[in-house]
Amino acid sequence: MNHATKAKEFNKDESKVNWHDKALWYVREKRDKSAHSIQGWEYLRELGSAIKANVLSNLDEYLVEFESNAQKNGIHVHWASNAEEHNNIVNSILEKHNAKRVVKSKSMLTEECHLNPFLEKKGIEVIDTDLGERIVQLAEEPPSHIVLPAIHKTKEQVDELFQEHLGTKPSQGNPEYLVSEARKHLRDKFLKADVAITGVNFAVADTGGFVVCTNEGNADMGVHLSKVHIACMGIEKIIPKEKHLGVFLRLLARSATGQPITTYSSHFNKPEEGKEMHIVIVDNGRTEQLSREDFRASLHCIRCGACMNTCPIYRRSGGHSYDYTIPGPIGSILSPGKDLKKHSSLPFASTLCGSCSNVCPVKINIHEQLYKWRQVIVKEEKQPVVKKSILKVAGIILAKPSLYGFAGKSARFALKHLPKFMIYNKLNAWGKARDLPEIKNENFDEWYKKRNKNG
Amino acid sequence: MNGTKNEIKMGREAILQSIKENKPDLLPMPTVNVEAFAEDLNILEVFKNNIALVGGNIKQIEKKAIDTEVKTIYSKAKRIVSTSSKTALGTVKISIDTDPHELEDIDLAIVEGEFGVSENGAIWVTAENSIVRALPFITNDLVIILEKDKLYLHMHQAYDIISQRNRSFGVFISGPSKTADIEQCLVVGAHGAMSLTVLLV
Repeated sequence: MNHATKAKEFNKDESKVNWHDKALWYVREKRDKSAHSIQGWEYLRELGSAIKANVLSNLDEYLVEFESNAQKNGIHVHWASNAEEHNNIVNSILEKHNAKRVVKSKSMLTEECHLNPFLEKKGIEVIDTDLGERIVQLAEEPPSHIVLPAIHKTKEQVDELFQEHLGTKPSQGNPEYLVSEARKHLRDKFLKADVAITGVNFAVADTGGFVVCTNEGNADMGVHLSKVHIACMGIEKIIPKEKHLGVFLRLLARSATGQPITTYSSHFNKPEEGKEMHIVIVDNGRTEQLSREDFRASLHCIRCGACMNTCPIYRRSGGHSYDYTIPGPIGSILSPGKDLKKHSSLPFASTLCGSCSNVCPVKINIHEQLYKWRQVIVKEEKQPVVKKSILKVAGIILAKPSLYGFAGKSARFALKHLPKFMIYNKLNAWGKARDLPEIKNENFDEWYKKRNKNG
Repeated sequence: MNGTKNEIKMGREAILQSIKENKPDLLPMPTVNVEAFAEDLNILEVFKNNIALVGGNIKQIEKKAIDTEVKTIYSKAKRIVSTSSKTALGTVKISIDTDPHELEDIDLAIVEGEFGVSENGAIWVTAENSIVRALPFITNDLVIILEKDKLYLHMHQAYDIISQRNRSFGVFISGPSKTADIEQCLVVGAHGAMSLTVLLV
């Protein structure tokens, strides 16, 4: 199913779409306020972008440096070329510790690798502990946003889910009550967990340490109570020096939610006495993306979600319409590299307004890459007949001024005099929910000439 | 097991080889001109405002008033862990050998912060400050004692300060734990501490 079809599903509930749209725009506004309250924001973005560009140009060296420093601190380092290797490595660590209960904090990488179903099939309980992720896990859905995973759910829906799975009382969606019940439920899971899995926000080459950011404290609750910590990271999470965290931590939360920093920014360098710490470094298509000159900057992404919050298409179509682990504008430039055919509609799910590029904390030229993917896709993927023929005809007409003038005149005549059903039909996607503007008698060229004559 | 090890080795070499083949020519690492972030402001006042912004309480008091202040704010707290020598309110003793699961029903933890960051209200708390890493997270409420002359403008200065530390575990804490995952309604008290009080002394 393509993006437009799935977006139509989401748009069936108009009031919910309007809420979704406004809620995300509000987050965007908070981002603006927060970003502009500090000195040198644009310089920070430039630094973020330049550091990431340097990282990609020297990635192998930084990874080896990171590995060696991490190992010196007693951290086990693993490498996985793809999702399957990643899942097997995680499973082998769990097997070694005979672990049956796993708590996981947010990691888009483990979503990408489909780690949960893989482990569940092996009889392991995997609990997502970020509240939003727990909500979508109970609903058996993927997250619809990378920072706000359950943004597509109403509080009443959460209420029902909790009644069904956690045995809560009906509360008409009282957020305080629901959060307090989730706290109790997940605290029990934290206390009983054998192993904690987390993502990685930044891995630091010159120290071999890594940083995990949360607002809820769920990563730390999991890690500090379990005997084993497994942190999973894509190869692009590396930054060269610890002091660069100053740049990225200032950018991340402000871009994501408008907070000045996340509640907890945890710096892991060594396992606690008597415990184990593992890092799994994953490629899974990233080095292939690195090879594409036009698209490699997509690997700068620090997963703040700002491009989603600002995108007029995302806000009105919802994260699930993208049908990819990372939705929104950034997902639309990452996904075609993974599977061009499956995700070929995503680069078209954009107005190319450029708002995503304007808010990106590491200055990825998202809208330009969307446009470039379109050019790749129309060459390599079959396009719908209607679109193809219309563009072909348009090409012929636009190449000849006399033909263009004639076509314009005919169209204005037709639109004025044809019956409605002939104008508003399948060929006119624009007119589905809108009326065409009033048709004038002349085109711009004619109007301009007349205006000059009248002086 | 040998087979697994070989595969893992292959993963490493394959990834590094693929990066070598696909990476662009070396681009320079930018130098961070920290002066570009200089701001002439009252860092104490901005710090206080930011603590409030992120949902924490902050009080500036005399060192000798710590116990009275904590008893007033957390009058119901019974099981209290203190890792600070500045207060005598601790009722539960812990050591590095304490099983963190035993801290499950701690009402209040009192720890010292190393320094605070004005721009975001974050306070650096180390594994040494907490004795048991889980402490500032698992406790119901958290008090951080911070010396008022240990405040810095922004994160660049913060990373300068901690660049020479013994690296094991450390965390910037900015406010109590919170979530907005249910319809974007902010609820304070997710999995970590339900409240945070910062005592500036």
